[in-house]
Amino acid sequence: MKGIESVRGYQEEIIEAIPSTIIVVNRSLEVLYANRNYYAKSFAKRERDVLGERLSRVIPQMLIEKTRIDDKIREVFLTGAPFDGDQLRYPGGMFYFYKIYPLKEGTEGINKVVIFMENITELTRLEEELRDSYVKLENAYAELKENDEMKSEFISTASHELRTPLTVINSYIEMFEEGMLGELTDTQREKIQIIRSQTEHMIRLVEDMLDTSRLESRKLKIHKSPIKIEEIAMKVLEELSRLAGLKEQTVSLTTEGRLSEIEGDERRIKQVFNNLLTNAIKYTPDKGKINVMIKDEPEQVRILISDDGIGIAKKDENKIFQKFFTGSGSSLTRESGRMGLGLAIAKGIVEAHEGSIWVESEVGKGSTFVFTLPKI
Amino acid sequence: MRLLVVDDAPQMLKAFRDILEVHGCEVYEAANGEEALIKYSEVKPDIVLMDILMPRLDGISATKKILQDDPCAKIIVISAVGKSGLENECLVAGAKGFIEKPFKIKDLLNSINSLVKG
Repeated sequence: MKGIESVRGYQEEIIEAIPSTIIVVNRSLEVLYANRNYYAKSFAKRERDVLGERLSRVIPQMLIEKTRIDDKIREVFLTGAPFDGDQLRYPGGMFYFYKIYPLKEGTEGINKVVIFMENITELTRLEEELRDSYVKLENAYAELKENDEMKSEFISTASHELRTPLTVINSYIEMFEEGMLGELTDTQREKIQIIRSQTEHMIRLVEDMLDTSRLESRKLKIHKSPIKIEEIAMKVLEELSRLAGLKEQTVSLTTEGRLSEIEGDERRIKQVFNNLLTNAIKYTPDKGKINVMIKDEPEQVRILISDDGIGIAKKDENKIFQKFFTGSGSSLTRESGRMGLGLAIAKGIVEAHEGSIWVESEVGKGSTFVFTLPKI
Repeated sequence: MRLLVVDDAPQMLKAFRDILEVHGCEVYEAANGEEALIKYSEVKPDIVLMDILMPRLDGISATKKILQDDPCAKIIVISAVGKSGLENECLVAGAKGFIEKPFKIKDLLNSINSLVKG
């Protein structure tokens, strides 16, 4: 306690300056001392009205009755242990806090105690306000959560309800195509093709909606088994080659390092490749180039899907992974056939594998979508 | 081959009938789980195609009840509900297969054929 040395000699000034009320009483509960704050807060303005008076005459009767402070002081004298504080509500909504400490004098024992008293009305009011705000916030959060759950539930129900009619439509398309309902003319076959591709599109939208609601309610389950990333990439590229071919785009696959098997959900990882590559094809102009690069790293596999398409503005680089985001600009200029779920789903799947996904892009020069999958 | 198809969507039942009759199956229909129990004991089909979400009695309960009476019953659950864990629940209930809607006709026929052979 070296620091205390530097204030020796200033005790009086310091005690007088303390913004709490301080009163010292003896065993007969007579006041020996009251600090400046006491005089500032009470009607007694002069020491001679206070010193030597019984405590019950210098502090309000009400306070004594409510707190039984006199009994507590006697207790401190008796036990020598401090009374560590209590709160008191005063008429008019005032709150006080007080403590009683014994003052030991050599071997004589305790002949004086000091009482600290603090007006904590403002503090209590703030505390109550804070508690009120907290309760309001909690209620609002619960309400929001309930709304969000209702919305997810609705999306889930709606998607399920759409699946049966889609199955019926899809079955008849297949029956037509298989010739089970008689031979088709070329024109009929061509139109059935259109119905098929539109139905498939609708099925994909419904699946995306379902996956989104699963991701939101954390019900998207990952079934891990050993997978070969390169093989999955090749499969998806093959499936999308027709789409890229329509735009005369060059799609290539390169690898770096010895690729080891990793643990992952094949169907879901395929979905990630599919969503990222479909986007790349969509946003790369005719005759553009798309490259898939798979890199082996010590702890993870890194996949980079680059295109030389329109690119993404810096301010949108994080937003594109949010659901329902379909590019900046007004909602009227959005492209049809998209709900802005593909990247949100890809992010959800990658994160469910404890990997990360992000984009590096420059407007007009193209984008590189990168995702990593940990090896263990 | 005698098939009992159970689904509460009439158009789905019609589609099943159209798909399966072309492939030489005799098709019987039930619109919910309760009807399925009655039809099953009447018809004694080789295979049952069972929806899950249906009024009165759901597909999983119906599957369990059919299997209580006939432990050899071959039931394939065909569901629009994509809840994870559901497939397992159906297999635990005793179903021999699980197909999600929308399915490819080829996949449906493959499941039926492999079950008949197996």
